Amino acid sequence: MTRKRLEGRLRKKLNRRFGEAVNVTVEGKIVRVSGTLSCWDDIIEACSMCVTRIPGVHVVNDIILEGADIPRMRIPGFTDHALEGRTPDVLIIGGGISGSSIARELGRWKVDVLLAEKEADLALQASGRNDGEVHPGVDLGRGTLKQRYVVRGNRMFDKVCKELDVPFRRCGQYVGFTGKAALPVVRLYVWHRKYICGIKDTRIISGRELKKREPKLNPRFQFAMYNPSAGCVCPYGLTIAYAENAAENGAQISLNTAVLDMELQNGRIKAVKTNRGTVYPKLVINAAGVFAEDVAAMAQDRFYSIHPRRGTNSILDKKAGSLVKSISSIKTLAKNTSHTKGGGILHTVHHNLLVGPDAVETYEKENFATNQSSVDAVFKKQKQTAEELSEKDIITYFTGVRAATFEEDFIIGRGRRTRNLIHCAGIQSPGLTTAPAVAEDVAKLAVHMLGGEGKIERNTEFSPVRKGIPRVRELPLKERDRLIRENPDYGIIVCRCEEISKGEIIDALKSPIPVPTVDGIKKRVRPGMGRCQGGFCMPLVTQIISEYTGKAIEDVKKSGEDGVISFGRTKEVQP
Amino acid sequence: MKEMTCIVCPNGCVLKAEEKEGEIRVAGNGCRRGIDFAVSELRCPMRTVCSTVRTVFPEMPVVPVRVSCEIPKDRIFDVMKEIDRVVLKNRAGRGDVLLRNVLGLGADVIVTSSMLKNAV
Amino acid sequence: MTVYDVLVIGGGPGGLAAAIAAKKEGARVLLIEREARLGGVLKQCIHDGFGLLKFGERLSGPEYAERYEEEFHELSIEYKLQTFVTSVRKTEDIFHVYAVNDKGIREYQTKTMILATGCRERTAKQVFIHGTRPAGVFTAGTAQYFVNIMGQMPARRCVILGSGDIGLIMARRLTLEGAKVLGVYEAKPAPSGLARNLVQCLEDYDIPLYLSHTVTRVFGAGRLTGVEIAGVEGNMKPVPGTERQVECDTLILSVGLIPENEMAESLGVPLDPATKGPFCDNQFMTEAEGVFSCGNSVHVHDLADYVSESGETAGKAAASYKKKKRNRIPIQTDASLQYLVPQRLDADSDLSSVILYFRSREILEEGILTVTVDGRTVFAKKYRNLKPPEMKRLKIDFERAGLTGESRIRVCIAKGGDTR
Repeated sequence: MTRKRLEGRLRKKLNRRFGEAVNVTVEGKIVRVSGTLSCWDDIIEACSMCVTRIPGVHVVNDIILEGADIPRMRIPGFTDHALEGRTPDVLIIGGGISGSSIARELGRWKVDVLLAEKEADLALQASGRNDGEVHPGVDLGRGTLKQRYVVRGNRMFDKVCKELDVPFRRCGQYVGFTGKAALPVVRLYVWHRKYICGIKDTRIISGRELKKREPKLNPRFQFAMYNPSAGCVCPYGLTIAYAENAAENGAQISLNTAVLDMELQNGRIKAVKTNRGTVYPKLVINAAGVFAEDVAAMAQDRFYSIHPRRGTNSILDKKAGSLVKSISSIKTLAKNTSHTKGGGILHTVHHNLLVGPDAVETYEKENFATNQSSVDAVFKKQKQTAEELSEKDIITYFTGVRAATFEEDFIIGRGRRTRNLIHCAGIQSPGLTTAPAVAEDVAKLAVHMLGGEGKIERNTEFSPVRKGIPRVRELPLKERDRLIRENPDYGIIVCRCEEISKGEIIDALKSPIPVPTVDGIKKRVRPGMGRCQGGFCMPLVTQIISEYTGKAIEDVKKSGEDGVISFGRTKEVQP
Repeated sequence: MKEMTCIVCPNGCVLKAEEKEGEIRVAGNGCRRGIDFAVSELRCPMRTVCSTVRTVFPEMPVVPVRVSCEIPKDRIFDVMKEIDRVVLKNRAGRGDVLLRNVLGLGADVIVTSSMLKNAV
Repeated sequence: MTVYDVLVIGGGPGGLAAAIAAKKEGARVLLIEREARLGGVLKQCIHDGFGLLKFGERLSGPEYAERYEEEFHELSIEYKLQTFVTSVRKTEDIFHVYAVNDKGIREYQTKTMILATGCRERTAKQVFIHGTRPAGVFTAGTAQYFVNIMGQMPARRCVILGSGDIGLIMARRLTLEGAKVLGVYEAKPAPSGLARNLVQCLEDYDIPLYLSHTVTRVFGAGRLTGVEIAGVEGNMKPVPGTERQVECDTLILSVGLIPENEMAESLGVPLDPATKGPFCDNQFMTEAEGVFSCGNSVHVHDLADYVSESGETAGKAAASYKKKKRNRIPIQTDASLQYLVPQRLDADSDLSSVILYFRSREILEEGILTVTVDGRTVFAKKYRNLKPPEMKRLKIDFERAGLTGESRIRVCIAKGGDTR
């Protein structure tokens, strides 16, 4: 189809729906949708209408949302010169699962890697706010990048998690069906997934077999689609582990570092301005999640758009953990509405249940606020998966924002106009699963772009092994006893719900990328993750951080700089 | 007539007190102490104060204190100011007096825990 | 290996009283406490009002606890501090208790256990507060630890959700330390705390109490910047359209306490959904042989004095524990009671002075509690001002009630002043 014909067709479609309010132009491989609309959902609809199936063609959203104040990216409240003049070979923007895993894979080469993360910790956005499922890929159609990477990524998890000392469990995934009528269609689907898409572990099991394995699921399930390769992992745990291993192999991980602007020369990024100084990288990798489009724009290489999509998950008390031992969900034939799309019940590596997520379009990339309507909608649906599921067991809930493109696929590859740029964008589910595989390819591409193997030497000292902090509570008694005799702090329990010792907390403070905040410790060793949500241990963790770092109690924060916990000593603070 | 909740014990009796020709009549009390409370509440309400004082010991930066007997309700914040000024430099124990006859109100400010003393 | 007669888990008011009582009966006792000091939560309860019933004095929490600690030490009872029980296993008639401390992991063996594990606070998420996750949202007990133990100010301008006693006490405490308490919001139409605390913690300091209001959202990225308040209807759901924002830097929650019974559950002890604690008999033995419980892990008390009392009963009974076939008579209640403890009577025990603890489900200006055995009224008592937040205690002689193993005991409260 010629450019003109495509343009005409899309314009007609848009006009029918939105009249003159929106327009579309096709510029090379960019379908640019412009105009003004007053409702975000309409913008999503307009852009989605312009999605073509032509490989490499992407929709760019230039529609103005009338009357809305689109929030700017949150950036750290301070500036310094810590990175001024740095000339890394590779600058990775974003410390999520993508950026961290790429940094680690680049460690196999003698390249100078700088990773800039604008938040106070790694995995604070989408990578830390998802359900941690390692997908089998059974829901993905052929021909997408997601599908291509999911099979390879899934297979890599045993090795990667072993190397990085991250708990991983192949718990299997069941999708239950209540009506026998669907069986022929599902059989066909399973055959297709198995033999055409290469999701070889896909199979159908009987209702009776399902009941044997997961006795508390909906008794009306007639049969289920089963994928034993599905698993679960702690998503921020894996991200931190990747980044720590990267750091151990020489990468510099710079937190609280936001990319603010770029200077280009002859189609190349020459300088990257951050709040911590200007750096001059040879190559830039854009792994900026929901902000990938903004980074692309700074690099004058914006050929796709990200439309953020919120999802809320609830975490249930371990006591409810026996309800579901795997990842289970119900397949309803009703058309997916936004709130009820996807979602399931997942038994985490820490033996909680995770219920969700839903999916709601939003223009706020960093609005992680939760709403009761999300929790209600997810529970309403998932009670059909397991009817004993109860809101009473909820200990907390959280919202993440997915970085979806309108094509709903990843964008992985070189910049189109800017020559020293790699995009790793549009990474949404199953981005955690695909990360190990994507990281390998992106690292290879980066090395190639830096001059290839001829110019870049292998790092013979690279160690893929990261030693995590001992999970003392899980050790056999004898081993635990031995460890305590070596270090008595492992015997002092600080978090009673999760049974976390002072020794583990101090280990986290000594780790390769220490984040000496209450949340930083919580992410690394879990005090406060249990049913009391830190009621008992939060003051103790604050004290331990204060003692270890030598900071006054009032200078220990919950998360970033503004996360003040205490205003100072009593009798000395004036309100 | 004034209605009030007795705070002497956890029963929380609802008292009705009325002053007629210099005499206070109380109703609704479950025991004798309720009458005393109502009378005092009409004439000069009295309360206790419990707080902490700073110490110089990092392992126990504050130590709990209270007044040894009730003080007039409207002097609570004056007494708090005195308490806030104290910085304990010795390992005092339960019952030790930190401020004798605070502000001339007839009450002492006393330490209510021996945690500091027993920590050595 | 030493086999203790009684192993007490928890060194708060319940555990201390239990250990003391058991020791006085001549038992070999060990107490395990996970914190570095005895006293439990009383260490941070520096306000007075403790001991009125036990000692006839108005003591602060630490003073009350230390009186028990001194007796505990005088009796040379064995104890382990900063020691955390990780698991318990039972073989034959012996409990194997595995506990960890800075010396390592050790196994202790005992014939009976007393669980005096106390309770924990309900959290913001358990009352479905939504919004962001800023610093500055504390449960009342956590805020109390900051102020009274660490000497730190966690609040300047604060809103308190829930009118439970700790919330009221923290309203006063923070005010005394110079914070501004903007108000206490209570979702229920009646306050949850004791009437005396409403007077001496709120009224005395002009802190407003808003009934039928709740906090629905929090705002702020780093530190809390405000909360959303909404009116609440009878079904306890926020009323749409009544939302308003209050600027504050702190939200303190006093929205209920939950007995801590994870260890009891691991021992297969059945819990009463009404109390969230184990079903107990009048000796405070649970449904599991040799496992006793006392204090706030059985049901949440308003007064430490009663916590100690239950500890004493449990300690004494555990010391003279003998394995035997139980003859337990359930005490049935109806909807007029929120709960009643104990839920069973041990027909073979001394029933001449059984202490019952209960809470009325409704606020009753006048009510009559009656105890019937097989339809015969064996006890009746008239109450004025029955309120769910105020636990009542009464002593009954069941020896004269002519109980048999098949007896049906019922307790209920009738509205009004007339006995029927």
